[in-house]
Amino acid sequence: MPVTSFSLPSLPLNRRDILIGGAGAAASLLLPSLAGAQTKLQITEGNVAPLPIAIPNFVAGSPADGEVGAGVAQVITNNLKRSGLFAPIDQAAFIEKIVNIDAAPQFQSWKTINAQALVTGRMTRQGDGRLKAEFRLWDVTAGQQLTGQQYFTSPEYWRRIAHIISDQIYERLTGDKGYFDSRVVFVDETGAKERRVKRLALMDQDGANVRYLTRGSDLVLTPRFSPSTQEITYMEFGQGDPRVYLRNIETGQSEIVGNFPGMSFAPRFSPDGQRVIMSLQQGGNSNLFVMDLRSKSTTRLTDTPAIDTSPSYAPDGTRICFESDRGGKPQIYVMPATGGAAQRISFGEGSYSTPVWSPRGDYIAFTKQGGGQFSIGIMKPDGSGERILTSGFHNEGPTFAPNGRVLMFFRDPGGNSGPSLFTVDISGRNEQRVPTPGFASDPAWSPLLS
Amino acid sequence: MKVDKTLVASVALHVLVIGWGLISFSARSLEAPPPESMPVDIISADQLSKITAGIKTGEKDQPKPLVEKIADAKPVEDAVGKITEKKEIVTASAPEPPPKPVEKPVEKKPDPPKPVAENKPKDEPKPLEKKPDPPKVDPIAEALKSEDTKKPMPKPEAKAAPPQPPKPKQERTFDQSKIAALLDKRDPTRQSITGAALNSSASLGTTRGTAATLSQSELDAMRARLASLWNVQPGVEHPEELYVTVRIRLNPDRRLAAPPQVVSSGTSARYQAAAEAAVRAVLQGQPYTMLRDETYEQWKYMDIDFDPKQMFRS
Repeated sequence: MPVTSFSLPSLPLNRRDILIGGAGAAASLLLPSLAGAQTKLQITEGNVAPLPIAIPNFVAGSPADGEVGAGVAQVITNNLKRSGLFAPIDQAAFIEKIVNIDAAPQFQSWKTINAQALVTGRMTRQGDGRLKAEFRLWDVTAGQQLTGQQYFTSPEYWRRIAHIISDQIYERLTGDKGYFDSRVVFVDETGAKERRVKRLALMDQDGANVRYLTRGSDLVLTPRFSPSTQEITYMEFGQGDPRVYLRNIETGQSEIVGNFPGMSFAPRFSPDGQRVIMSLQQGGNSNLFVMDLRSKSTTRLTDTPAIDTSPSYAPDGTRICFESDRGGKPQIYVMPATGGAAQRISFGEGSYSTPVWSPRGDYIAFTKQGGGQFSIGIMKPDGSGERILTSGFHNEGPTFAPNGRVLMFFRDPGGNSGPSLFTVDISGRNEQRVPTPGFASDPAWSPLLS
Repeated sequence: MKVDKTLVASVALHVLVIGWGLISFSARSLEAPPPESMPVDIISADQLSKITAGIKTGEKDQPKPLVEKIADAKPVEDAVGKITEKKEIVTASAPEPPPKPVEKPVEKKPDPPKPVAENKPKDEPKPLEKKPDPPKVDPIAEALKSEDTKKPMPKPEAKAAPPQPPKPKQERTFDQSKIAALLDKRDPTRQSITGAALNSSASLGTTRGTAATLSQSELDAMRARLASLWNVQPGVEHPEELYVTVRIRLNPDRRLAAPPQVVSSGTSARYQAAAEAAVRAVLQGQPYTMLRDETYEQWKYMDIDFDPKQMFRS
């Protein structure tokens, strides 16, 4: 999708502002020398409440753009609200109506409704049919612009523009990359429990734009995104043994990965997208293999009389984590990506499975089974700092958002019901259900699209 | 062969002495008593000064008991006189008159004291913090009243017994206009107690002299205000790196005299976001109404550290 962007310059300050700024700078220069005997005050407890932010409808550049202006504001509002880090303020509370985004807003009227940040924007249909999107992010408390950008794109991609703007706001206010301009591939489940039809499906991270990639004639499991976001790898029960497939999202072309005698499963891409790591069944055991997608050469990584599966690369590609029952119960192990000595990192009660390494490298998420419950948790790659984020009848299959701060997983309440997708912050806060057309399981989050 | 006896004796003695020394010293050297472990708290100079300052402020509490003791002594004499009067009246004269005075003082005294006693704790802290000139008279008078009232309450029964022996004062009871006499006696007690109260006020004065330091309650109130406004993101990576120090200059109206200045440094985008969040908290917190005029020199310049590390201990 062609999206071009330019940064909007800060609004020109008038002469008085500059003078005041100069005075402030002078005062701040004097401060250190004057401040001999300051009182020190240490604040160690803060407020983990979400940041109040006001997002008025984007101004319509022409009368026909009102609808898209409201739509963009709605998508941004929904994204930021679901992140748990922002509290969008109800538009009914707004005092000032933004009519011109090229003038500074009346900060006092936004302070009055306790907004700390304000987003103003404008959508304009260009003469060539393209859509121009402009936005500015304001710090209401300090009374200044934090960032401003403009984008050009085809009108049908207005939702993506809204996601990109959401990421800009998120990044400027948190300092971390956003994750809104991303997709999720999952297994869509429909029909009665005994005759469940499972199809591969693709959607935006907020549940919009659902597309089905397979027809549901064959059972599919464990889809995973490539770093390029253009391909997915997954396991499909075809005519013979279940095998690992590779599918191009845009063209729909698919192929079997490798030509192995037994069952192949639990595939995942390497961070550079050049290799696929997976499990191969050999008798009653399974071992880890990695295949180079260009040369098709296969390398064995483990050789044990146990079930080694669910491999996942560290973001730098030097190590992998995987699940193995070589010690009795399934546990999580870490070893060099080229094979070698594996080190067990999970030592809690119960068994651990489906490990996945965070894109930012600091945590490994897992499914933990014990005490009649399935939990989703994270631990550091050395096994320390284990933290359970959610527990229940059945929670499984965590996948990290591109910035490593949010996990998506599926939850099955049991009974005649079916699974659905949820997100949770890696601090365990802000659990949210992800809207899907039917039942859904096995989610995999893509990297950022742009 | 001749053996020099002295040599033998010398050798024997040396062997004895050295042998004893070897045994005894070696035995002693083995007995190295394990050093007793001592709990040690490491505190900063600031904390030490706060602790010592705490003693000075502690004196504020002491004056109260002191006043009571002094007041006890003086009123005891008066009360004794009064009580003896009453009881003597009971024994010497007709039974009817004694009950009346007993009831009256008991009723009248407790009534005023209750509100006074309630007001007392409220009034006292205020004069400690602020320097109201008129209040000095009021709290003392109130303190005296309350002391008067407090004392008669428990004393009539317990201290009534010992006072009985002194009979010279009984003669005073014969004087008429008992109510007026009681009133007269209250006045002198007030004066005498004011004398005692002057001591307590003097001690209060000394604490005021050192009270130009920011009180812990002021700092706690400011800390609580900033903590309620400081927005911290959950799940942020490496929170220990996001230690932000904001330097502020305040006007006497408790508002910022200049934009807050971030004096700590960090380069990451996360640090910039954390610094901006800290500045937002400081901007939103003004005016800092919990700060007192007297301590302006102390809060004119402040360094405020925002440290999220402890919030993310797992």
